[in-house]
Amino acid sequence: MNKVSKRAWLVLAAAAVIFCGVILFVVRYARDASEWVTFPGNPHLYSGINPSIGTVRDASGELLLDSSGERIYAHDLMLRRSTMHLLGDRDGFIEAPLLGHYAEDMISYSPVHGLVIEEKTPATAELTIAASVQKAALNALGGRKGTVGVYNYVTGEILCAVTSPTYDPDDVPEITEENEAQYDGVYVNRFFRSSYTPGSVFKALTATAALSELEDAESMTFYCGGEVIIDGERIVCAGYHGEQDLATALKNSCNVAFGELTVLLGKDIMTEYAEKAGITSSLSFDGIRTASGSFDVSEAGEGSLAWAGIGQYTDLINPCQYMTFMGMLANGGKAAQPYLMQRIVTDGTASYQAETVMLESGLRSDVTRTMAEMMRNNVVQGYGTALFPDVEVCAKSGTAEMGEGKASTALFAGFVTDAKYPLAFIVVVEEGGTGASAAAPIAGSVLSACVEHIDRQNSSK
Amino acid sequence: MDQLIIKLSELFLNAAAASRFYAVMRYAFPLLAFWLLLRCARSLLTFRRQSEIWAWLNVAGQTSIPVTHWENTIGRSKGCDIVIDLGTVSRSHAVLTRYDDGSWSISDIGSRGGVQVGGRDVSLAALSYGQVFTLGGVEFFLERISKEEREEQKARRQRPGAGFRQWFTLLLLTVFQLCSMIAMMFGTQPEHMQQVITGYGALMIAEWVLYIFFLAIRRNGFEVETLAFFLCTLGISVIATASPASMNKELIAIGIGIFLFLSVGWSLRSLERAKRIRYLAAAAGILLLLANLLLGVEKNGARNWIELGGFSFQPSEIVKVCFVFVGASTMDRIVTRRNLTLFIVYTGLIGICLVLISDFGAALIFFVTFVVIAFLRSGNFAGIAMICTAAAFAVLIVVRFRPYVLSRFAAWGNVWEYANVAGGYQQTRSMMCIATAGLFGLGAGNGFMKHVAASDTDLVFALISEEWGLLIGILMILTVLILAVFAVRSVGVARSSFYTIGACAASTVFLMQTALNVFGTVDILPLTGVTFPFVSNGGSSMMASWALLAFIKAADTRQNASFAIRLASGKEERYE
Repeated sequence: MNKVSKRAWLVLAAAAVIFCGVILFVVRYARDASEWVTFPGNPHLYSGINPSIGTVRDASGELLLDSSGERIYAHDLMLRRSTMHLLGDRDGFIEAPLLGHYAEDMISYSPVHGLVIEEKTPATAELTIAASVQKAALNALGGRKGTVGVYNYVTGEILCAVTSPTYDPDDVPEITEENEAQYDGVYVNRFFRSSYTPGSVFKALTATAALSELEDAESMTFYCGGEVIIDGERIVCAGYHGEQDLATALKNSCNVAFGELTVLLGKDIMTEYAEKAGITSSLSFDGIRTASGSFDVSEAGEGSLAWAGIGQYTDLINPCQYMTFMGMLANGGKAAQPYLMQRIVTDGTASYQAETVMLESGLRSDVTRTMAEMMRNNVVQGYGTALFPDVEVCAKSGTAEMGEGKASTALFAGFVTDAKYPLAFIVVVEEGGTGASAAAPIAGSVLSACVEHIDRQNSSK
Repeated sequence: MDQLIIKLSELFLNAAAASRFYAVMRYAFPLLAFWLLLRCARSLLTFRRQSEIWAWLNVAGQTSIPVTHWENTIGRSKGCDIVIDLGTVSRSHAVLTRYDDGSWSISDIGSRGGVQVGGRDVSLAALSYGQVFTLGGVEFFLERISKEEREEQKARRQRPGAGFRQWFTLLLLTVFQLCSMIAMMFGTQPEHMQQVITGYGALMIAEWVLYIFFLAIRRNGFEVETLAFFLCTLGISVIATASPASMNKELIAIGIGIFLFLSVGWSLRSLERAKRIRYLAAAAGILLLLANLLLGVEKNGARNWIELGGFSFQPSEIVKVCFVFVGASTMDRIVTRRNLTLFIVYTGLIGICLVLISDFGAALIFFVTFVVIAFLRSGNFAGIAMICTAAAFAVLIVVRFRPYVLSRFAAWGNVWEYANVAGGYQQTRSMMCIATAGLFGLGAGNGFMKHVAASDTDLVFALISEEWGLLIGILMILTVLILAVFAVRSVGVARSSFYTIGACAASTVFLMQTALNVFGTVDILPLTGVTFPFVSNGGSSMMASWALLAFIKAADTRQNASFAIRLASGKEERYE
């Protein structure tokens, strides 16, 4: 009997194992419960896929969304429409990962009391965007599909991130067969999640590669007779540019010159600089992961390589990422990583405060300085300074051929060198026509709104 | 009556009153439960273990050794109950057995020198008091324990809950239940008010009737039952919030369960009766599973249900009780190997049936229980390691030929990646809700878990933690641990190895169910769909839990503690 009874320790051991399991769970609970609770789909916290956990304001304190109870959006129709893709809608058709990402900082959660819903003071999330700029950008797009982004390349604050088409979250349209063309891609935030054929804005990158790798790049001359045949491929130019140096070729956006230059640089160097500029990778911040672009010339012949160097072939860029590359050209080769969430405040104390993360491209500062001069030249000699009355802008336009009878995509990307307004920007207008005529004026009016916003911010400080 | 219910419903629709009630009760519930458990645990885990003395064994006419069990091994080995340190005595020489009626026998368990009664070698012989038998040349005889000695022993042995007033503990439970009922009345829909009142009310009546019945038959150990009723209370809370329509069914199951508890306990009072029932149980177990194989219907991935005339039940739950009966064995049988072989075959058959109906959770419970029983019976580590290895191989073979079995466990360990597909949905919702509720819960009826499939059965830990708080959830697990540790403490002074094995096996079933249920819910183990004893919604599970509890009561030899133990006086005295 004793023998048998003593063997009962095995049952005790089993009980001990379970006890240890309970301890393990309690440890995991203490460590991870705040993540479990913010899981998207927690009905105690979310309505649909978008969290309802506090208020959201813009950089100047204007209310964008009060989601502490029902989701109440801004009073202004244009503001509601221009910020919907950042905040998400009520039904969860449009997912905005931003607030979900910071849910942990926005809720008052403790593993002891759990999510105490009734007694908490709603947290306020302060975004970097400016309501006035958002509205100006959506206005400037004028119903065309596309996106506008502006950010401060020194701090990383995104002042403007507008995507079109959009709709009023308080008046969700019924999308039918008749109007579906109008709302094509409405569920996508184009600024972060789309990638576009860049067209000639890509020449900024090709020029950067040339300045970095070819000692005599600045003094090189190119002859443009309207077209050139490279490896059996006909590279057509928009004009007859004759003899020109690199700066002029960039101002002219000469396909012949940049096609030949790309072939001269070769696949490896072009790929290397596409990677340095970050074209092929995606940015991750605030729970947002941008779409990655593409630069793949591994299968390309010389003709295709030439097209790739002038932003056609299979090239793709993500607007937000390319804007960051513009920031790098403006800022000596490094730029702040963009972000949207400035801080989260509950009862006067900040549970989150953004910090600037610098992205290093490895580009030399003498190269970026020359690039800035050349892109300034584009504006002065080409697009016209009248478009940008308030600030000195350096830029490059692009008109991406979409083929198959589709109208071209108009792009315009660049930056401001003024230390007071360290802004990089990008404008994309789908089926917009040429970059210079369709996208550049939008950039002009949005930058004016940005300047006004920054001045107002500075004077109120 | 209906009028009254309507009046009550209106009264309890008051949100302000509900929040005032909860402001206090959030903290009072875990405190009450903790106090209740502490009282039971102190009583169950600190009692002085003192053997009953059944007779004296006179050795060579000189010393007398107390005989403290119904089954006593005699031998040279230190592990024997009666140690005779003589070279002529084998390490394990003989078993001295006492029967229900007070008679004794001696049996040879393969000793070198044999056992002699009246000068002749015997393998098994009846013994009367004073009759001389010889082991290894030493003469022994049994001396009757005198009436005075018996009385003195009875007075000396600890009664259950000495210093622990059982009625007070039960009163605490009743207060807990009343408060739970009020909380639930605030939380429930008016149309379910009736079920809430019936549920908690019936449970309170049942526990007090049972308590008074035990007092009437002079049994006053009620901690084990109090713990079971505590778990049942949580079970009623689960049903009230998640499935009020099944309240009556569950109450009937608790009623039948208590009846089974009393019946199994009563049958265990007599060892001879219990041994006869073993064969019946063995046959019933196999028949139930075969019926399951033929008539089973699938629910949630396992074909472990039988539907008969509107009632559905899970045979594998009832088979657990049969299995414990079959596994339990008396000492004289334990020493021969043949019986373990039969038991292995029996377990194998059950295992095959369970795998065929894809009830892997139950299969694992049976396997671990088998390992515990086999170890208790043989003490053979190597053998058991071999069996475990063989089982592991069998699992590998099953996986090799039926790889889809594995896909059911694909989400294990990374459920968050499977959060919105089958495999991870339930666990992620469980953890999310547990975290939302914190230590003190969202309040009865206020949870989201009740909308998740199987939250009233496989995920009860999450449902209870969400509405009543993680503290109550953990106390729920501790309750099972207390029962198991108590069983292990008790078996040290159990009368027969039959009871030792029975109590250990029943505890193992409880422990395994708890582990698979709770750890499956929170992704420490794969989710296998196992019920939590006494808490999960399910008639078969509830009945089986109560029946298994009788085995723990049958090992509780504290003086006048258990109805499943015949008092050591009375009828057997008649045998002379």
